[in-house]
Amino acid sequence: MLKQYPTLRYILQRGGWYFLTFLVAVTINFFLPRLGANNPVDIIMGKSASGLSAENARIKEESYLKEFGLVKVDKGEIVRNAEGKPVKASGLEQFANYIKMCFKGDLGTSFQKYPKKVLDVIAEAVPWTIALQLPTILFGWIIGNVLGALAAYRRGVFDRVFFPVALLISSFPFFVFGMLLVYYFAVVLNWFPAMGGYAQEIIPSFSFEFLRSAAYYYVLPFFSIFLILAGGQAIGMRSMGIYELGTDYIKYAKWLGLKESKIIAYLFRNAMLPQLTGLALSLGTMISGALITEMIFSYPGLGMAILTAIQNNDYPMIQGCTLLITISVLIANFTVDILIGFLDPRVKAGLQIGKGN
Amino acid sequence: MKKGKNVTVFLMGVLLSGLLALQSCGGGKPKEPTDESGSSFPRTKTLYLAGSQWGDPNTFNPLAESWQAAWPVGDRFNLMYEPLLAYNSLDGKIEPVLGTLVSKDNDSIVVDLNPEAKWSDGTPVTSADVKFIFELGRRFKNAATAFTVEFITGINVAKVDVNGVSVERLSFIVDKKGRNNPLVILDHLQAVRIVPAHVFEKLLSENNNDLSAVQKLKIDDNPVVSGPYNLETYSNEKIVVKRRDDYWGAKAIYGGKLPGPQYIIHPIFKSNDHFAIALQKGNLDASQTFIPRIWLKKKDGVSTWKADAPYYVPGSIPMLLINTTKAPLNDKNFRRALAAAINYANIKELAVSGYSPDIQPGLIMQSGIEGKYFSADDAKTYGVTYNLENAKKMLADAGYRSVFKSDGSLDYMTDKAGNKLPTLSIKSPAGWSDWEAMVSIAVKGMRDAGIDVREGFVDAGLYWPALPSGDFDLIMHKPAAAVTPSLPWSRFESIMSSRNWVPVGGDNKMNENQGRYNQPGTKEYNKAVDSLLKVIPILSDDAQLTEAYRQLNKIFMQDQPALPLCHLAEQYYEFSNANWKNWPDETNPYAPPLLPWIGASTKILWQLQPAK
Repeated sequence: MLKQYPTLRYILQRGGWYFLTFLVAVTINFFLPRLGANNPVDIIMGKSASGLSAENARIKEESYLKEFGLVKVDKGEIVRNAEGKPVKASGLEQFANYIKMCFKGDLGTSFQKYPKKVLDVIAEAVPWTIALQLPTILFGWIIGNVLGALAAYRRGVFDRVFFPVALLISSFPFFVFGMLLVYYFAVVLNWFPAMGGYAQEIIPSFSFEFLRSAAYYYVLPFFSIFLILAGGQAIGMRSMGIYELGTDYIKYAKWLGLKESKIIAYLFRNAMLPQLTGLALSLGTMISGALITEMIFSYPGLGMAILTAIQNNDYPMIQGCTLLITISVLIANFTVDILIGFLDPRVKAGLQIGKGN
Repeated sequence: MKKGKNVTVFLMGVLLSGLLALQSCGGGKPKEPTDESGSSFPRTKTLYLAGSQWGDPNTFNPLAESWQAAWPVGDRFNLMYEPLLAYNSLDGKIEPVLGTLVSKDNDSIVVDLNPEAKWSDGTPVTSADVKFIFELGRRFKNAATAFTVEFITGINVAKVDVNGVSVERLSFIVDKKGRNNPLVILDHLQAVRIVPAHVFEKLLSENNNDLSAVQKLKIDDNPVVSGPYNLETYSNEKIVVKRRDDYWGAKAIYGGKLPGPQYIIHPIFKSNDHFAIALQKGNLDASQTFIPRIWLKKKDGVSTWKADAPYYVPGSIPMLLINTTKAPLNDKNFRRALAAAINYANIKELAVSGYSPDIQPGLIMQSGIEGKYFSADDAKTYGVTYNLENAKKMLADAGYRSVFKSDGSLDYMTDKAGNKLPTLSIKSPAGWSDWEAMVSIAVKGMRDAGIDVREGFVDAGLYWPALPSGDFDLIMHKPAAAVTPSLPWSRFESIMSSRNWVPVGGDNKMNENQGRYNQPGTKEYNKAVDSLLKVIPILSDDAQLTEAYRQLNKIFMQDQPALPLCHLAEQYYEFSNANWKNWPDETNPYAPPLLPWIGASTKILWQLQPAK
């Protein structure tokens, strides 16, 4: 039907698959945390029940089960079986309820951060996560790739120095590198603060004072991720570049006597394709936060919220965060799929043939 | 080709502009609790304290469960909502807050309400407020303070004349038919914070008398409080409280003086190391966190209560609870052999940085207020200390035999009948590093003694449910953690009481005595344990009390239902004199070694002076 619009057909086809993936992912995200033997109310009761008689502990437990929608409720009362025990809501009933709430834009209330709404927790943390991750990932990717391409093309002394350094940096674990930065630049030299997202004596607002403080506190966490990322990207790009240098089209271009800048542009464009997929993946997962960085620098963000949610079986929080991650991974991948459609001559050629049919 | 290029440029543009937009708003915090903008808190007027709030602040509702509400509303902090009384863990005295302790006997505990006490909206604190929170559990079973109604039948109010002033006198009537325990009521009087009844009754009626709905409110916008500080602002990175210059207690308790710091900021860190760094840099004035090798921080001005080891004042006992229903752990000779196989000196030095005194057998600490109940003779006669040879002998005498592999390492153990025993496991939450170290040292000693046992570090999500359901062989636990007037009784109660005894299995849960010690109805059942636990709270004669504790401790040492590992500080208390001075310590013990919002330590705030 859309034969005369191959690009549109390509996009719709991809979109359809992504939607299907989304549905499967949401279902799995919902049921996976519930497969374990432990339930969140038991964890909460571990903290709430001390000093209570058995009877009052049971009453309290039931009020939690009801509040969190884990038992069947009829007209505000818990449905009970013949022995008087509450009837547990089945996984499917909870799932139906979850989907219904999702359509109303309500991701539920966190068990562990009760009575905070999951959406509020996400809304507070995500700006920090994006502010930390997006620039580091993009700059790290761009600078790493440019340096890698240069190293591949230039070779010589530049490459001989650059390559081992990049290899060394990129093989540092995040936490070791972060701690070294804190130790040297915060504790020994005292140039930068050791932790936090902004100075403690400031209330966050859109003032110059706050932004300046946030920028100052941003430096160490930024470099702890940026350098490692750039190093890794550079190594990947360098080997891709070297591979492309040996291909026939580059040799042909050189033989034709094309300008060097033109050849680098071709080289870069082709070597970049796998790197682009890598970028999509890291952009997609960036929402899940840089947990290690958050812990090393006590930096605000979603990573810690996800960790505590998983540790405490906080179903609504896990669902909310995985939903967000799923959506962002899929959007990032979809975008790159479309971009590759335009950038990769092979995919484009495939589309052109499609038009011919 | 051309069209494709345009789209590429367009998409790149979208990405870039998105990036710019995000960058420009990136640093901005989404939500602001108050409309105050960009103002700073001058360092000379601000006290930075930490260690009471670990995650995001979620609610400031005093009716929420104590672990849900953020500092300083949750737990037993009395900066915003105040209790009637405060307990001084140094001298065991009860100090006045909203009320003054008049008398305490086995019928009732009598407290005079301070007639000067006022809420921040100007209305007086009355007996109606006290009754509201203490009797909320009668109206709503799910109230966070429901535990109080198990102990009191009611509160009688009388108007009396004290030095010419009319005062409301409250008598908390001991429920003699129920728990009959005035000791725990005393605990409650210094733990339960009084909330303004007029505010919460109104909220309840607005929410159709549904407590769950009221518990969901955050109560973070200019709340009505009685304490010396009120909530100023908060975010996920910190909580700020501001001094109330019209605090009633300034005149009525502190001779017209206000606390020194105008602001108190509680920063929220995500990693334990940050407390040490912040203290060293003078960014934090006091903290209550476990900082290993604290003596190394001394050169940076970080001090503790004691200048030398063990640095802190012991307050709680981390221990291994034993599942006494499971063979071979149901054999007290085997349990005593376990106790003899643990190298307590190593636990003290290696697991907890030397922050424990050398411990004696039994459940009573040798120092502090409970030290008067400790008998060194009994500990020597009935207790078990670290002695590997003795442990092996005890096992052999009881008929247990260890089987070794050809390389000399332990293979398994057999019981009296020669049957192979399963490998025992010690459950402990993964990642709690000091507990993990204690468990590893215990396992090493037990294996050296020929006992087949292994570490079982599990996710906290599996640890908490395992505890009440009895799903363990041995498990790490710190019972009766809070330092309260009812210690050491509450420690014995939480390990040895069979009041709520139910077997392991099904939905059965026990919130004390999780090791299922002393099963009623069996021929081994020791009636003396439960009757001693029942009688101690109503004994007032010191000699009788000491004798009762001696009896109980003797039974504990003989039966060994749990394995105490060390005596740790309940509230680690480190401070720095860089910005504020005159903190209490061993040489200047004007308040207990706690942060200045717990119990009788609130008075520290009136004693602190700016250092510069």
